[in-house]
Amino acid sequence: MTDPKSILSRNPKMVTKKTGNEYVLVPVTDNIADMNSVYTLNETGAFIWELIDGKKSVEEIINSVTKEYDIDIETATSDVYSFIRDMSKYLIIK
Amino acid sequence: MKDYTLKIAGYNIRFEASEESPELIPSERFLRNIIQTPDYDILIRVHHGTLKLSEEADRVFIAPYIIEVKGMKIKQRDHFWSVYKHHSDLYIFTNFPDSSHGKKALLKFSLTLREWDLWLEGTGEITDPFEYPVDSLVLYYLTVIHSDIMIHASGVNYAGNGYLFSGASGKGKTTLAELWEDSGAKVIHDDRLILRNINGTYRMFNTPVYRDDEPRESPLNKIFIIEHGTENKIIPVKGATAVTLVMANCIQQNWDPEVIAPLLGSVSTMCSMIPTVKLFFRPERRIIDYILEYE
Repeated sequence: MTDPKSILSRNPKMVTKKTGNEYVLVPVTDNIADMNSVYTLNETGAFIWELIDGKKSVEEIINSVTKEYDIDIETATSDVYSFIRDMSKYLIIK
Repeated sequence: MKDYTLKIAGYNIRFEASEESPELIPSERFLRNIIQTPDYDILIRVHHGTLKLSEEADRVFIAPYIIEVKGMKIKQRDHFWSVYKHHSDLYIFTNFPDSSHGKKALLKFSLTLREWDLWLEGTGEITDPFEYPVDSLVLYYLTVIHSDIMIHASGVNYAGNGYLFSGASGKGKTTLAELWEDSGAKVIHDDRLILRNINGTYRMFNTPVYRDDEPRESPLNKIFIIEHGTENKIIPVKGATAVTLVMANCIQQNWDPEVIAPLLGSVSTMCSMIPTVKLFFRPERRIIDYILEYE
């Protein structure tokens, strides 16, 4: 499991576009096999994605999600870790 | 011929043979696209031989040769064509699976210039410079330059309305095109379309890349992302969901963020202007009535 003190950065090999409160993500690839892998981030995912700036730690992001959505720390922790798991290919964790 | 111009999907593509080039003879499938005009969107100068690339050129994309048999994709070779980049110049090396002479090509082009160069070797004294895959690659990069969209989709025009049905292989693009044709619709194409925003109106175009088709086009009024289903059902989608569904079916070479970003922007703009829905359908005539009643 990712250390709560870890710093998250976005993988630069990704093109994103915000549409309303959501994001569309398209990975950069050098092979035709990975073409057409396109992802949507819902509003919560988009909020987490915007917090990932190469400076904030996992626990700082969890705290922000707790405040933004007025949810308990366990729920926010579960949401953030499930985001990290789903998006691991497109995150740099240090 | 020493030179001629093809009009495909509204683009004027001009070919000019250089001194040492073989004679240029367009394949039969392009004959209905030949036009007489001095204007061109892109000029391709055709040469004999090849060009030695700088050692600093980076290979940025490799396409394997894949054929489709009964809806299954089968990889025939790891290496079909590749894209190289050197500063702002791009190069595509390709062979020709339909050629028996070991024909090869190198296309030198740029996303900012309107004059490109094509070197051909192993051609004999006459050749079609737009043989597959050069035709589809040039058209793809023309869509990139013009912020247009190339998409896996069938398209039909019924009573003046243009409907697009997009999905991966086996999802029913051709089936729906046939059902519409039986209902009196004009089929624009049953597999691949180019979508262009012309003066604020979206239009869909066929290309003669896969078949000997007459040039066809239609306004675009609705986008259907299709799936076979146990019942006929339409679910409207919008925002990021619509953009993601459409993007997933666009023809993309995602090696360059500077190519992906404009396409993402174009698809996003189109989805904000053209209603997009998910369509689950049974492959029967009733689906046409169902769609028309929904309209």
